[in-house]
Amino acid sequence: MKIRAWMLGVVAVGIMFGAVLISDALGYWQTESTKTPAVISTGEFAGKADPADIRGSYSFGDVEAAFDIKSEVLAEAFGVDPAEAEGFQLKSLETLYVALAEAGTEVGTGSVRYFVALYTGLPYELTEEVYLPQPAVDLLIEEGKVAGEAAEALKEIAVEIPAVETSVEAPGESTAESAPAAAVSTGEAEGGVVAEDLVIKGKTTFREVLDAGVSEAEIRSAIGAEMPNPLTVIKTFCTEQGLDFEAVKTVLQALVDAE
Amino acid sequence: MATDTKKTTGRKKAARIRPWIQGFFFIFVLITSLNHLLEESGQSIPFWPQASLHAICPFGGVVSIYQFLTVGTFVQKIHESAFVLMAAAFVLAVLAGPVFCGWICPLGTFQEWISKLGRKLTGKRFDTYIPSKADRVLRYFRYVVLAWVIYQTAVTGKLIFQDVDPYFALFNLWSEELAPAALVVLGATALLSLITERPWCKYACPYGAVLGLSNKIRIFRIRRAPSTCIDCGACDRACPMGIKVSGLEVVKDHQCISCLECTSEYHCPVPATVELKVMGGDAK
Repeated sequence: MKIRAWMLGVVAVGIMFGAVLISDALGYWQTESTKTPAVISTGEFAGKADPADIRGSYSFGDVEAAFDIKSEVLAEAFGVDPAEAEGFQLKSLETLYVALAEAGTEVGTGSVRYFVALYTGLPYELTEEVYLPQPAVDLLIEEGKVAGEAAEALKEIAVEIPAVETSVEAPGESTAESAPAAAVSTGEAEGGVVAEDLVIKGKTTFREVLDAGVSEAEIRSAIGAEMPNPLTVIKTFCTEQGLDFEAVKTVLQALVDAE
Repeated sequence: MATDTKKTTGRKKAARIRPWIQGFFFIFVLITSLNHLLEESGQSIPFWPQASLHAICPFGGVVSIYQFLTVGTFVQKIHESAFVLMAAAFVLAVLAGPVFCGWICPLGTFQEWISKLGRKLTGKRFDTYIPSKADRVLRYFRYVVLAWVIYQTAVTGKLIFQDVDPYFALFNLWSEELAPAALVVLGATALLSLITERPWCKYACPYGAVLGLSNKIRIFRIRRAPSTCIDCGACDRACPMGIKVSGLEVVKDHQCISCLECTSEYHCPVPATVELKVMGGDAK
């Protein structure tokens, strides 16, 4: 049996595109990371999306899809141009408000998680310092998402967001109001480190921490267990082991910063 | 060469389908890559895939195998789609060898296009600049590259090959992700293509190294019938990978890319003498 050139051409195209079509039909064809947060597994809110699993790579549009909060609302809360809201990635907040980070009042992905939790009423355990932009706090209070003592506590962690190029909502003040944290473990150095330094995030692997100069023994001590395969994502490991990622992250970040 | 062939036999050659398929995939990948860029700025072509180049490169699946088996995750920037395409290319390879290299890979196509210009510029000196001894040794260098890429990716969990990958550079000349080293490798590949056919494929491509192994086990093989062969050497001259087909009855060379240029459909002047046939089939 022989194959002619035209047959081989048809077979080549057929197999490549056939594989795409079949895998797509089976739901396996993924060309990007899924932007769907994990769901809460127990309790009253079981089955709902977990604000704690919101990643820096998510856009406001992804958050809208998962938590049913309009991108425009998020844009207003975080001082982002509404025209860019849908595709605006949360991790961009860190660079957008680098001045706040330098002042020790970072507004970043953690702020969005907290805002989403407050806005939706979903549970979210704070284990690090979190600050919210003043417009976000105002919005939560105006819409009745928080009231009374909770509202007063929120005002304590509100920071004025500096004017930035893409922001049409941000007030003109560029100084950040220093405020106490809503809940404290140890301060996160995320915004204060230079660009080359490792900042532990949701996708950071143990390998990256090792590469930053932290020893395996130190990691063992930080996670209270044997270190898994270095390529394991720290957050995934914590989730699987029932560890508090934010607490582990804080300890590991301190080790990284000490190097 | 095709003209010589016609003179020898007076036989009309089959219509060439390979360049069309190569062109199709080249344009497909080019538009997809551009569409990914447009998508980031919110202006993509609605009906066209918006996948990143990493998502549609089967070699991404190969370098992810270790991490997938040990940790259950993909290397950064790699997704399920790369695994699907890797599997499809492997199926093709088991069936008929590195068909992906010869018919689909846009970097291979790019080199062939540059080599056409090189042939015009250098004439009969084309493909004679690299000493045969060095050529023979260098052809195994791609396995060194493969080992290095797999080891480094396994250790770091990152797509380190991107920084030197000429394929990624070719379709990301407009991207911030373009690494200077990859641009240099792409430039070197283009320049070398002016003096020899498919230099990246022959000497450095790690994916070609993987798929090339299928030449040892593939079901359909290039088979030459010595009884009808007239030893004209047309098959040797036609092979873009420089394999001496006229000295073989069954092509098992690890560098064969299943392009079929050597077969009786194209450059071999004698009918039913060099063909792609099932293993164990008659040479006739």
